[in-house]
Amino acid sequence: MRRVIERFGAIVLSGLDWVGGLTSLALRSSAVGPRRPFGVDDIASQMVEQGVRSLPITSFMSLFIGMILAVQFGWALADFGATMALGDASSLALVRELVPTLIALTVGAKMAAGMAAELGSMKVTEQIDAVAALGADPIKKLVWPRLVAATLATPLLVAWGNIMALIGGMLIGDWVYAVPAGYFYETYVDELAPIDYIQSLVKGVIFGYLVGLIGCYQGFSTKFGTEAVGVSTMETVVATSICVIIADFYLTMIFL
Amino acid sequence: MSDTSPAPAAPVIEFLGVTKTFGDHTVYEDMDLQVRRGETLTIIGGSGQGKSVCLKMMIGLLQADGGQVKVDGNVVGEQGPEGLRTIRQRVAYVFQGGALFDSMTVLDNIGYALREHTDMGDEAIYDKARACVEMVGLPERVLQSLPASLSGGMRKRVALARSIAIEPEVILYDEPTTGLDPKNINRISAMIMKLQRELDVTSVVVTHDMPTARKVSDRIAMLYEKQFPFVGSAEEMWHSPKREVRDFIHGTLREAEARHGA
Repeated sequence: MRRVIERFGAIVLSGLDWVGGLTSLALRSSAVGPRRPFGVDDIASQMVEQGVRSLPITSFMSLFIGMILAVQFGWALADFGATMALGDASSLALVRELVPTLIALTVGAKMAAGMAAELGSMKVTEQIDAVAALGADPIKKLVWPRLVAATLATPLLVAWGNIMALIGGMLIGDWVYAVPAGYFYETYVDELAPIDYIQSLVKGVIFGYLVGLIGCYQGFSTKFGTEAVGVSTMETVVATSICVIIADFYLTMIFL
Repeated sequence: MSDTSPAPAAPVIEFLGVTKTFGDHTVYEDMDLQVRRGETLTIIGGSGQGKSVCLKMMIGLLQADGGQVKVDGNVVGEQGPEGLRTIRQRVAYVFQGGALFDSMTVLDNIGYALREHTDMGDEAIYDKARACVEMVGLPERVLQSLPASLSGGMRKRVALARSIAIEPEVILYDEPTTGLDPKNINRISAMIMKLQRELDVTSVVVTHDMPTARKVSDRIAMLYEKQFPFVGSAEEMWHSPKREVRDFIHGTLREAEARHGA
């Protein structure tokens, strides 16, 4: 029993340590980041790396999320002869919830894992120490551009994902349930209020910030050896998923 | 009878009663060391004794838990970001594996500190980088290469070129010859002596390779049991009656013989 309590205590302490480290990194990056030079080139290069290179997977995922949801809702609505309400039924679930959350869980986790692996490799090969030894601030040079890029790129990917999900729903509505694409579009858009778009984008911003922060923190706290990079990357995916789901719960509660 | 030997140069780096621990493991306890201006001091000792920790404390990559580390009289642990930046502009660090930035060309690696510390334009940075690679015996064409395409010895020399680009007063070498073949070991040792001679820098070399230490050093500091029980010339070390010094010399000689015999 005592060993169980000790083990539980160790897990709680390690969790608190992790949250403390993450918070410290967030504070340090917000202290050094917004100073001149802003590192626009580094941010732009990270936007390309994290945002533009994630467009294909985002498009593919969102298209299929829209199609799957339309198939499911169409199946249920067909029993009531209400397939023409497919656009209304799909829109809220996709825009408010499914697109931002699933993009953060998949594309976001990919971005965070990439950052953790890259920074973790730099850590074990002393490249992060080298940045400091050459007189630069590793937080400013390595964390800040990734954090800003992830925070900006994720809502843009969510916006793009919303368009692709709409197209996916339209295709299924038209092909499977004979709902004209124009009608699907009108009912889809009519159902949405400005706050729904705002909710979608705010979730994108906050998920993106979490993704960037967790990816960088995990990379910077990588231990020694190449095996540690693998462990750190795996932990990043788990931590990102858990944090995104928890953040999603609270954001949904706030917006309701 | 008066002492006619010249007074030793003033210390540029000083460790005063330094203590450093990692968790339960104490690396240094009340440790003192002085690095004199213009000399080449080699720190030797067994693996895992904290030789690299010593170098990292000199530029504030690690902080002492007790005591003081001073660079030109300035306590490293009391420096803010700007103070550390100034120290790192004057004290360059050559990392064990080179620590070259994989995603950048050799030119960008060498130009990194120049962009950080100076207002030099692209052309001036290129000229400086070319001069640096030529000084370490590499051709100009290497500037456009990525570090991954270079051999181990070339990477070490690029790391050396990167460290001299900002014209430091002190160069810290962390295991500069580890993992190299005898030809490259000789080449790097010669390079350390050449830079010392031509740039008039102070050098601190960390190694466990006794032949390299004897070749490049003015003084050798032997790390043993969390302190430096011996600091003196290679000749004094060779004739030292201290048991730990004799053990270390004989141990490294056997290691060197085994390496050459293999």
